[in-house]
Amino acid sequence: MARFIIRRLLSIIPTMFIIVTLSFFLIRFAPGGPFSSEKKIPEAVLQNILKKYHMDEPLLNQYGRYLQDILRGDLGPSFRYQDQTVNELIGATMPTSILLGSFALALAFLLGTLAGITSALRQNKWPDYLSMSIAVIGISVPLFVIGPVLQLVFAMKLSWLPTSGWINSRAGWKTIILPMITLAFPYFAYIARLSRGSILEVLRSDYIRTARAKGLKESVVIVKHVLKGAMLPVVSYLGPAFSGIITGSVVVETVFLVPGVGQIFVQSALNRDYTLIMGDIIVYSAILVVMNFVVDIVYGLLDPRIAYK
Amino acid sequence: MAETAKSLVNEFNQQVKPVSLWADAWKRLRKNRMALIGLYVVIFYIVVSLIAPILPIYSPNEQNLMHINLPPSFKTAGELAVEKVENRIARLTEVLKTQDREDLKKELESQKAELAKIKEEVQHDPSYNKVYILGTDYLGRDMLARIIYGGQISIGIGVVGTLTAVLIGIVIGAIAGFLGGWVDNLLMRFVDVLYGLPYMLIVIILMSMVPSGSNSIFILFIAIAMVSWLTIARVVRGQIISLKNSEFVEAARSMGASQARIIFRHLLPNSLGVIIIFATLQMPSFIMNESFLSFLGLGVSAPGASWGTLVADGVKGMELYPWRLLFPAISMTIFLFAMNFLGDGLRDALDPQSKNRT
Repeated sequence: MARFIIRRLLSIIPTMFIIVTLSFFLIRFAPGGPFSSEKKIPEAVLQNILKKYHMDEPLLNQYGRYLQDILRGDLGPSFRYQDQTVNELIGATMPTSILLGSFALALAFLLGTLAGITSALRQNKWPDYLSMSIAVIGISVPLFVIGPVLQLVFAMKLSWLPTSGWINSRAGWKTIILPMITLAFPYFAYIARLSRGSILEVLRSDYIRTARAKGLKESVVIVKHVLKGAMLPVVSYLGPAFSGIITGSVVVETVFLVPGVGQIFVQSALNRDYTLIMGDIIVYSAILVVMNFVVDIVYGLLDPRIAYK
Repeated sequence: MAETAKSLVNEFNQQVKPVSLWADAWKRLRKNRMALIGLYVVIFYIVVSLIAPILPIYSPNEQNLMHINLPPSFKTAGELAVEKVENRIARLTEVLKTQDREDLKKELESQKAELAKIKEEVQHDPSYNKVYILGTDYLGRDMLARIIYGGQISIGIGVVGTLTAVLIGIVIGAIAGFLGGWVDNLLMRFVDVLYGLPYMLIVIILMSMVPSGSNSIFILFIAIAMVSWLTIARVVRGQIISLKNSEFVEAARSMGASQARIIFRHLLPNSLGVIIIFATLQMPSFIMNESFLSFLGLGVSAPGASWGTLVADGVKGMELYPWRLLFPAISMTIFLFAMNFLGDGLRDALDPQSKNRT
C-alpha cells in the first residue's frame, strides 16, 4: 500500500511538468500578446514593459525562469491587473470557487445516491420513473441553460432568491442556493443513474442471496452488503465529477456573477494575460491531479479485491 | 455458432433465423420506443439543417430595426405594431375616464397620430407582412431562422468533431492494442497524462489564441476533437486486445492474412458496435462543449450563430423577452434528449450479450 501511494505520488510530477510545459509554449506561440490590443504605445515604452516582464529574452530563458519561479510557489505578476500578483488574484478568488464546488459536489453526491437507492429498490415504480426522468433532464440540459432558467423562474418571476451575487452581499447565504443547484444538477443525474445501475447489479449477485438466506434483516442486507459493494463505481466517478465541476463552475460563475476563479479564468483568456492563464491552469490541474490521487486511494480502501502493488 | 441455418437455436432452445448483427440490432432498437422517437427527432433535425437554405424561412442575419424584440406570434409584424399602439391608446383612454390630466390627453393625441402613421407605413412597407412565429431578437432578426441556422452549425460541429475524434481514437487505440509492448505503454501513458488535464480549460486557451475574425468554427472543432479522442482510444484498445487472441484471428493469421488485413477486416469491424455507441453518446457532449464555449464568447463569432450563442444572447434580455432564451434552449435540449435516448437505445441494441434474444 505504502509503495503504491509513493509511486502514485511520484507520477504526479511528470504530469504536472507536461502540463506546465505544454501550456507555457501553447500560450507563447499564440498570435497577439497581452500588450498588443492596447492603444498605440511608443516603441521605447513597449520595450521597457517587455523588459520589465523579461519578455525580451529568448523563449527558453523565459521558460527556465518560469519553472524556477513556480518551484518557489511564485506564479509571477499579472500582466493585466496592475500591482497584483497571480498568487494574490487566485488566492482571493479560489476560496469562493472551492466553497461553491464542494457544496455542489456534496449535494450531488447525497441526493444522487439517495435517488439511485430509491429507484433501484422501487424499480419500475413511480419513484424510479420520477428520479430517472429528472436524471435524463440533468444529463441532457447544459448548465448554461439550467442556470438562466432557474434565475428566470426563482429570482425574477417568483422573487424567492437573489438573481446573482455572492454571500458577502446583502442577500447573504441565499445567493449560494441557485449556483449550487445548477452546478450540482448534471452530477446528481449521473450519480443517480450510476448508483441505480450498480445497486441493481449487486442485488442480483450471489453474496446478497447468501446474506438473505442467512436470514439477515432486509435493512441490514441493504445497508451493510448492497450499498458497500454498489458505491464503488460512484466513488470512482468522483474524480471525473470533480474535474467537471471545476469546468462547470466557470459557466456557473459567469451566469450568477460569483467572484470565483472561473470568472478570472475567462477574463484572462480573453485578455491574453499570460501569467494569469498559466497560474489558473497550474492550480486547476494540481487540484485535479490530487483529487484523482485521493479517489484512487479511497477506491482501494473500499474494494478489498484491489491489491496495491 | 451455427452449423446450418435450420438448426440455429439460442441458449433457450428457441428457433432463430440467422441474422446479421445489424439486422438484429435494428430489430431490437425498433422495440425501444424512446430510442425510436430519438432517432426520428435526430433525423428531423439533421434534415431541417441540411435543407435550411431552401426552406421558406427568412434570412438569419437580416436585421430590421423596426421589428426588434417582437414576441412569438402567428400574426404579421404589421398587425403586432398596430396592436401595440392600439393597446397603449386603450390604456390611456381608460385612465382618462377616471382622472382628467392634461399631459395624458396630449400623450393620447400623439399616440393617435402614431397609429395613423404606423398604419400608413404598414401598408407601404412589405417587410411588415413578415410573420415571426418564434419572435425576433434584439436586432430584429427572425428567431426561427436563427435557431435553424444555429442548429446547422451546432450539429455540424458535433458530427465533424465526433468523426475526427473517433478516427484519431480508432487509429491510436488500434495501434496500441494490436502492437502491444512498448508502443502500447508509451501511447497509453500519453493518454493518461492528457486525461489529467482540465481539457475544457485547454480548449478555452486554444480558442483565446485564435485571432478574432478568422475562421473560428473550424479551429473550434479541431480544438475540441484534439482533446476528445482519449476515451475512444482506450475503448478501442481494450476491444482489440480482447479480440486479438480470439480463434477467428488465429485462423486468419494461419491463412497468411497480413497485419493490416487482420486489423481492418477482422478486428475493427468487430469493434464497430462499441465505436458507434460511443460516437452517439459523444455527440451531445460535443454540442454541449461547443455551446459552452460560444456561451462564454469564445466560440462561434457574430454574425454567425450556434445554439450556444443564441442562448447567451437570450440570457441578456430574458426578463423582458423570455422567448429569446427559451426557444433556442428548448430546441437544443430536445435534440440533446433525442441523442441521449438514441445512444442508450443503441447501446442496448448492439450489446452482443443480447444477440438473438427477443
